[in-house]
Amino acid sequence: MTKGVILPLESARLVEYAVPIGCYICDGQNNFDAEYCRYCSAPMALAHQADKAKTPPTMVAAMGVSGVGKTVYLGMLMDMLSRGSGNTRLLARGAFSINLQQATVGALARCGFPGKTPNEPDHWNWVHCQVRAAGMRNPLDLIMPDMAGEALLEEMDHPHSFRVISSFLQKCSGSLILVDAVKLLEGGQEQEFFTMKLTSYLGELGGRHGNDWSKRPVGIVFTKADRNEECLADPEGFAKSHAMGLWEQCRERFRYHKFFAAGVAGACAWRDTFDEGRVQVPLRIEPHGIIEPFEWLLGHLPKFKR
Amino acid sequence: MGRLQRFFIPTTAMLAGITGIGCGLVLGNWKWLAVGVACLLVGAISVSLRRLRGRRPESAPVDHKPKPLKRASDDDPDALVAQMLAQGRYALLLRPQVAHDLEQHQFEASLEVLQTKMALVPDGTVILGDTEEPALGITANDGEWQMRRRAVRVSPYFLDRYPVTNREFYEFVAAGGYEQITYWDTAIWPAVLDFVDQTQQPGPRFWSDGYCAPGQENHPVIGVCWYEAAAYARWAGKRLPTDAEWVKAGVWPVHLSDTQSSQRRYPWGDSMDRVKANLWGSGPGSTVAVGEYEDGVSVGGIYQLIGNVWEWTRSDYAPGYFPPEEFISESPLKSVRGGAFDTYFDNQAACQFQSGDVQMARRRNIGFRCALSVSDLSLYREAAPEELTEEVPEEVNV
Repeated sequence: MTKGVILPLESARLVEYAVPIGCYICDGQNNFDAEYCRYCSAPMALAHQADKAKTPPTMVAAMGVSGVGKTVYLGMLMDMLSRGSGNTRLLARGAFSINLQQATVGALARCGFPGKTPNEPDHWNWVHCQVRAAGMRNPLDLIMPDMAGEALLEEMDHPHSFRVISSFLQKCSGSLILVDAVKLLEGGQEQEFFTMKLTSYLGELGGRHGNDWSKRPVGIVFTKADRNEECLADPEGFAKSHAMGLWEQCRERFRYHKFFAAGVAGACAWRDTFDEGRVQVPLRIEPHGIIEPFEWLLGHLPKFKR
Repeated sequence: MGRLQRFFIPTTAMLAGITGIGCGLVLGNWKWLAVGVACLLVGAISVSLRRLRGRRPESAPVDHKPKPLKRASDDDPDALVAQMLAQGRYALLLRPQVAHDLEQHQFEASLEVLQTKMALVPDGTVILGDTEEPALGITANDGEWQMRRRAVRVSPYFLDRYPVTNREFYEFVAAGGYEQITYWDTAIWPAVLDFVDQTQQPGPRFWSDGYCAPGQENHPVIGVCWYEAAAYARWAGKRLPTDAEWVKAGVWPVHLSDTQSSQRRYPWGDSMDRVKANLWGSGPGSTVAVGEYEDGVSVGGIYQLIGNVWEWTRSDYAPGYFPPEEFISESPLKSVRGGAFDTYFDNQAACQFQSGDVQMARRRNIGFRCALSVSDLSLYREAAPEELTEEVPEEVNV
C-alpha cells in the first residue's frame, strides 16, 4: 500500500537560484544567495533591497586618508539624524546598516574611538538608509560605505586594484572629502597631497551620461576642527591659508563644492596600551558641524533638489 | 499713522496742488492758483523732510557695557562694604580677619548675600567613580573598576548657586583683575597679557570691546582658561571647588549605615531627564542664563550643575576608564565636570563623569563656579559684653 506524500514545490527557488542577480555596485552577476559580490565584495543585500525599492538608491561617498575620521563622522551622522532632532531624518534599512552606528557610538560613549576600518571590502560597514528632509515629498534611499583610507590610497595609486571603489565612485552622486585640520595646522602636507590626489582621481574617473565629477557636488570637511576656532569659524579661509593647493584644485575641478568644519571630541589625550600601542582617546563628545555638510550635499543631489 | 504720514499726505497734497494750479490757470482764478501752489509746497516740503530723515545717520549703538563701580574711599567703611558686596566680594568681608572689624549691620548684610549666592554643602564622605552598575565595558568584578572607586571625606563648604556670569566676571575685569599680578599663579604671569578678547582687550576670549555680547550678561562666562577662573576666585575671596566637592554637591550622598550609602546619578535623581538640563538636543545649542532649568536644581539648591557649561575644578584630571599609568597628555589637564550645552551622551553628563582640558584652554563651553570652606569664614559673632549683662536675669544676680 502506498501513502500519499505532499512535497513542497521548490521549483520557484530553483528558478530564483538559476537567475543571476547583479551587484548594485559593480553590476557583476552573482548567485541569488551570495552574501557578498564575488567581484567587488560589496554586500549583496544592497542589490536585494534596491530591487524592492521603487526608485534606485542614490550613492554618496565619504573619503579621506586613513585616520582622518571617516568612521566617526559617518557613525555620528547616522546617530544624530536617527535621533531626529533637526530637519533631516534618517531611517536605517536593514540590520547591517546599523553596525556602523553601533560601533561608533558604543566606542565614543566609552571615551574611545572605533577601531580602524580593515582594508578588505567585505569587512567594511555599508549603510543603506532612507533620508527624509523637511519639505520633501518623497524620502530618498541612500547608500554610504565606510571605506578604508588605505584601500582608497591603493586604488588611487594603482587604479582598479579595488574594483568596489572604482565602481562605486563611478556611480556615486556626490562626495564628502574629509581632511584632518589638526595635521594641516601642524604643517604636515600629507593630508593636502592625499586630497589633491583624490580630486585628480575623481577628475579622471568620468561618469555616466556625461555626468563627470566636475558636475557632482563635493563637500570638503575639515575634521577635528574643534581644536581650532579659526577653522570652525571660517573653513574656506582656513583652506586658503593652510591648504592653498587643495583650495585651488577644488575651484578648478568641481563646479559645486564647499568647505566645512566638523569636530566630535571636545578634547583628546593619548593612551599607551600594551596591545595597540599609543592610541588617541576622546575625553568627551561634543559634535559640531556634522550635519551641515551632509545637508548641503543632499541639497545638491539631482534627485533631492526641491 | 507712520504710513499715512509717509505716503498719503505728500501724495494728496501734491495732487491737490497740481489740480488747484490747473483749475486756477484754466478758470483764471487767482485764489485757486494760490491754494494749488500752497498744496504743492506742502507736498514738496513733506517729501524733502522724509528724505532728510532717511539720510539722518542711524542712532549710535546703545552701549550695554555697564560702568565700573566707583572706587569707594577707605575712609568710608560703609561705602567700601557696599562696593564689595556689589562686586560679589562678600567672602572677603566674612574672613575672620575682617569680619570682627565690621559693624553688626555690615556683617549681617554680608551674611545675607552669602546665603543668597551660595549653598551650604554639609561635610561627609562622597564616593568618586561610577557607583552604578559598571557599564561601558568594565565588568563588575573588574579589580581596576573597584580600585577606581574611592571614598573621599569632604569638609563643609559653600558652593556658588550659579556659575559665574559674564556680569560678575566683568567686575573683576573692570577692577583691573588682569593687571593685578597678585591674583595670578606665578607660572602664568608671562601669558596673562595674551588673555584677551576678540578686540585685544583683557577679558574672556569671546567678549568684544571688554564686554560680552548684548543679552548675555546673565549667561555663564565662557572662554576663560583655568588660570583666569582661579584668578577670579582669588579676587572674590573664594577658590575653585575640588573634584570631590563638586561631585558631592551633585550626588548629595546619604549615609544609611556604616556600610551603605545612597548617591544620585544626577542632581535631580537617578535617571537622565534632558528637560532638566541644557544639553545637546535639549537646549538652543548655546549657553542660556544661569537661572534657567529650575527643575534641574540640586537638593542643596544649586543650579545647572549639569549642562550649560562644563565647570573647571581645582583638581587634576585622572582618567576614569582606564588605568592612570596608561594615560599620556602633552600638558597637564585639569578636571572639568557637569557637561555643557553640546554634550552628546547621557553618561557624559552625569555627576560622576569627569573630563579634562589643558589649563590654558579657553573654550566656548567651559565656565566655572566658586567654592568657599566654612572653616575660612567667620559666620558667628559674639554678642557685645554690655548686651550680655543686660540679658542676665536678676534672680541670678541676687
